Amino acid sequence: MVTDAARTFGELLERHEREIFAYALRLTGSRADAEDLYQDTFLAAFRAWPPPRRDNERAWLYRIATNKAIDGSRRRRATVSIEDLRLAAPDRDGITVVDVANAVRRLPAGQRAAFVLRAVEGRPYREIAQALDCSEEAARARVSEALKKVKVAVR
Amino acid sequence: MSAAVGVVAEARERLAARARREGLAAVGYDTVDSPVGPLWIALGPKGVAGIHFGSGPSEGELRRLIRLYGPGIVPDRRTTAPLARELDEYFEGKRRDFDLDVDMAGLTPFHVRVLRALRRIPYGALTTYQRVARQAGNEKAPRAAGRAVGANPIPIVVPCHRVIASDGTLGGYGGGLDTKRRLLALERGEVPSGGWLKRDQVN
Repeated sequence: MVTDAARTFGELLERHEREIFAYALRLTGSRADAEDLYQDTFLAAFRAWPPPRRDNERAWLYRIATNKAIDGSRRRRATVSIEDLRLAAPDRDGITVVDVANAVRRLPAGQRAAFVLRAVEGRPYREIAQALDCSEEAARARVSEALKKVKVAVR
Repeated sequence: MSAAVGVVAEARERLAARARREGLAAVGYDTVDSPVGPLWIALGPKGVAGIHFGSGPSEGELRRLIRLYGPGIVPDRRTTAPLARELDEYFEGKRRDFDLDVDMAGLTPFHVRVLRALRRIPYGALTTYQRVARQAGNEKAPRAAGRAVGANPIPIVVPCHRVIASDGTLGGYGGGLDTKRRLLALERGEVPSGGWLKRDQVN
């Protein structure tokens, strides 16, 4: 179903800010960095106004957030706090969140976004491709590569 | 969950401040509690841009703000704080007049004249649609004045609740008659159940 795009910055925020903040938290692993990413994402969206149709609006925000996260992690070494990651990846099979955190931290930013979108948020590949601004095949490849690396790292 | 909402709300406040500094946001809005239920309030560069009974604006109000200010309408508690404070003082009985300017941009000249006439009604006083029409320069148009009063985008601050029917009954109110009754009770004490049937109380 195609619905209207947000008409004001407020409508865009009210529809998507919680989800984007949660995504930012999972990508960056710290509340402070997540807040920066959330702000940078929405400011970039405001500057690039208007958004696409509502159905694409969400993917548009994910794409901006992902690109900002990748840019940000190039500038500074990303850190993932154990507390925040506990929300993202509960303990299972004897693998601790510390193991997963260490593995995720070592992923390149694009693969880290792919990992979070698929393994943590369970997004379909169509949305992951939109967020990463690549084809679905490329998105599958990145997720697969990220999962492989994390599995190897926590083995 | 509520902690997460609080974290996002804090982040949003800082985002709004950055958007304001960059000139991206023109109007700030918020929803505040009041004795007559939640109020959606908006403050822009020319003053109070909108007040709506409920937690969101009406479609018409939002369209007017978009037409005037574009998409830069953001939730921004810091911008709306002076209005929230004046409303609190009003509902506590500590304020009789509002100091903030009222933004009437985008309204027709007749509508503006009606709203200005409403602003001149003193605290606790009552007037009629007929009298408002006369003060707005169109004595023969009490119905048009009534419609303009009913379409007041800034109730409470522009006190359309002080307008009643010529026969002394309460007339109508955008926020509901119960709200009108409560506002008048706040300003005047008791409100008779049928309104003011003696015309001499209407001045």
